[in-house]
Amino acid sequence: MREASLDRLKAFLTLLPSIVLVGVFVYGFIGNTVWISLTDWGGSGSLAVDPQKNYVGLANYAELFTGFLAGGFRQDLVNAVFYSVMLLAGAIGLGMFIAILLDRKPKGEDVLRTIFLYPMSLSFIVSGTIWRWLLAPQGGVNILPTYVGLDPLTFEWTSSTKAVLEFNWQNLFQIMLYVAAFILILVGLWAFRNDPRKALKRWLGPGIVIGAFAWLGGSILPQALFMEETHGFNLATLGIIMATVWQYAGYTMALYLAGFNGISQDLRDAAMLDGASEVAYYRHVAIPMLKPITISAVIILSHISLKMFDIIFAMTGPDNAQTGHPALNMYLTTFRANDFARGAAIAIVLFLVAAMFIVPYLVSQYRQRKRG
Amino acid sequence: MANVDLKGVVKRYGNVEVIHGIDLSVRENEFIVLVGPSGCGKSTVLRMVAGLEAISGGEISIGDRVVNQVSPKDRNVAMVFQNYALYPHMTVRENMGFSLKMRRKSREEMDSRVQEAARVLELEPYLERKPSELSGGQRQRVAMGRAMVRKPDVFLFDEPLSNLDAQLRTQMRMELRKMHMRLKTTTIYVTHDQIEAMTLADRIVILKDGHIQQVGSPIEVFEKPNNVFVARFIGNPPMNILEGVFGVEDGKRFVTVGPSRFPVPDGKGDSLVDGAPMLVGLRPDAIKMGENIERLPKDWWCKGEVVVSEILGGHSLLEIVVDGQNELIAEVEGRVVAHPGEIVPIGFEFDRMVLFDPETTNALS
Repeated sequence: MREASLDRLKAFLTLLPSIVLVGVFVYGFIGNTVWISLTDWGGSGSLAVDPQKNYVGLANYAELFTGFLAGGFRQDLVNAVFYSVMLLAGAIGLGMFIAILLDRKPKGEDVLRTIFLYPMSLSFIVSGTIWRWLLAPQGGVNILPTYVGLDPLTFEWTSSTKAVLEFNWQNLFQIMLYVAAFILILVGLWAFRNDPRKALKRWLGPGIVIGAFAWLGGSILPQALFMEETHGFNLATLGIIMATVWQYAGYTMALYLAGFNGISQDLRDAAMLDGASEVAYYRHVAIPMLKPITISAVIILSHISLKMFDIIFAMTGPDNAQTGHPALNMYLTTFRANDFARGAAIAIVLFLVAAMFIVPYLVSQYRQRKRG
Repeated sequence: MANVDLKGVVKRYGNVEVIHGIDLSVRENEFIVLVGPSGCGKSTVLRMVAGLEAISGGEISIGDRVVNQVSPKDRNVAMVFQNYALYPHMTVRENMGFSLKMRRKSREEMDSRVQEAARVLELEPYLERKPSELSGGQRQRVAMGRAMVRKPDVFLFDEPLSNLDAQLRTQMRMELRKMHMRLKTTTIYVTHDQIEAMTLADRIVILKDGHIQQVGSPIEVFEKPNNVFVARFIGNPPMNILEGVFGVEDGKRFVTVGPSRFPVPDGKGDSLVDGAPMLVGLRPDAIKMGENIERLPKDWWCKGEVVVSEILGGHSLLEIVVDGQNELIAEVEGRVVAHPGEIVPIGFEFDRMVLFDPETTNALS
């Protein structure tokens, strides 16, 4: 008994320095940032030795989401959503596809694996610079067709001003309800095959009700802004998305390839004898078995996409409104405009969005460990 | 249900030939066990029948169809693997129904077949569980269920019991036997365990280094092994092999082993000539002790010195040295308490002796 408590004391003392350091420099600073985001620190005099910081509540957040002048931030936020979705779909889809090809053990698999993984070793600044050249309006990718006698492409990969999937920020609440309804119905349809009644009660029903409410009662919802403000998917972000997918597809490929290699040959043989084609083997056996890897990839890529900064900086510069990102905006607001409180608010918004991805993951991991 | 025929089947990996032209006919409804030491190629033969391994020469047919070029999924064979190879992310129900799902059977048919197999294998309470929540024996049953629901032409088993503990193995062995009696599906079963082979098989195929050594019923391979390898491989403890010289005197045939001389019954070693060297094979249970030697002819008796004795419940194992040089293992009935160094009378059932040519190690007719 005494030995056990001595062990605990030793463990505590060993952990103490890191607990203190993490407490101060991670959680303390997050707390400090939250506090700053609730003040009015900024503007003239913000760099004074003892600047004025008055508590203003959630005014900074309200300004970011509904303020007249913060349209740039809102477009950045929309961009961040598209960056995330496209990076996830692109890097996971492409990575998985390459992994499946390499899993079939073609000749030179080792070399190919290294080649596909190599972009990971470059910094974002380097790959950003390379892709800026590749996607230049009158060079790189655009002149590829001329090698086979066709006209060059004219698409402006990083400087287009066109946007698709546009929506009015005024209808923010309605759009959020549509999205929620869409997700609920999607999950419901997926669950319908296994347990129709539960799917209808838990997912499909609420989804349809919310969707119908958003459609019929959309006009009675409060509007987020007093004027129309359209945002959408800016085509200029396509180039940046391509570059990021290129950089991270190799990484997801490595994750999946390691997973595929870990599946025993017997399981593959069993699937073959059970009548599964190659496609069915991956669809029903291999990919579902690698769910933990997919979840890890989603978590890692989504937090990378929320912290995108340097590749945008390198490809289109910090001031291109079309390709902005909240992380860039945060930097500019804080260190160029010296609006520390607003910058802190943006940081906290990003932090919360990242937490939305990571917390459920951590909770499920914790539960699994407790169960196992 | 179908017969399986292998004609001159060869397997090469690069320049290395591992299966050297095997001929084997498995009859409809038959339970065939392939047995041999590890590395003898028995699993390779099984995988070639399944189509998981391409064959380098010869011909394999299932039913009357040559399947050399037929993919595994179209051969209508089901296989049970040593490590069960259950899909870890699927429930027992989904595991068992997977092959039917792949073959686009209706939901009703899938449910009824899975339910039926689960009932037979007593898996009904576990249908919604994942494999990780089952014991080894239950997983084994799921693997068998997965093979059963398919109603295949041929069952293939690749050492299915070797991951189970001894007690469970015995129990599952019986269940396998019962399952075969009920379903009567042609079965090819691979094992390195000769007890499994003896208890399950209609016929045993003994393989060594990619060659078939013998094909025969369990009793046949036990009592009439084709060569010393089969004699030593089948049966536990293995057959005693003694070096001897054949002789004829006054028309009586005998074998000299060390200083002792024993008669050779008629019908054994008819082709031998006086002075020919040979190997004498005697099963441990062909050595008798105590009152059991009374019913043997007197010239089948001799004396031996006990080295070690082990009592195994109903019977005992003794290591005995005869003439101070020939070590024998005897398996005798009852609990024989013998002290090391004790000289005891023993008798041999010479009508069960097997003679081998010392050069080729093949059995002499």
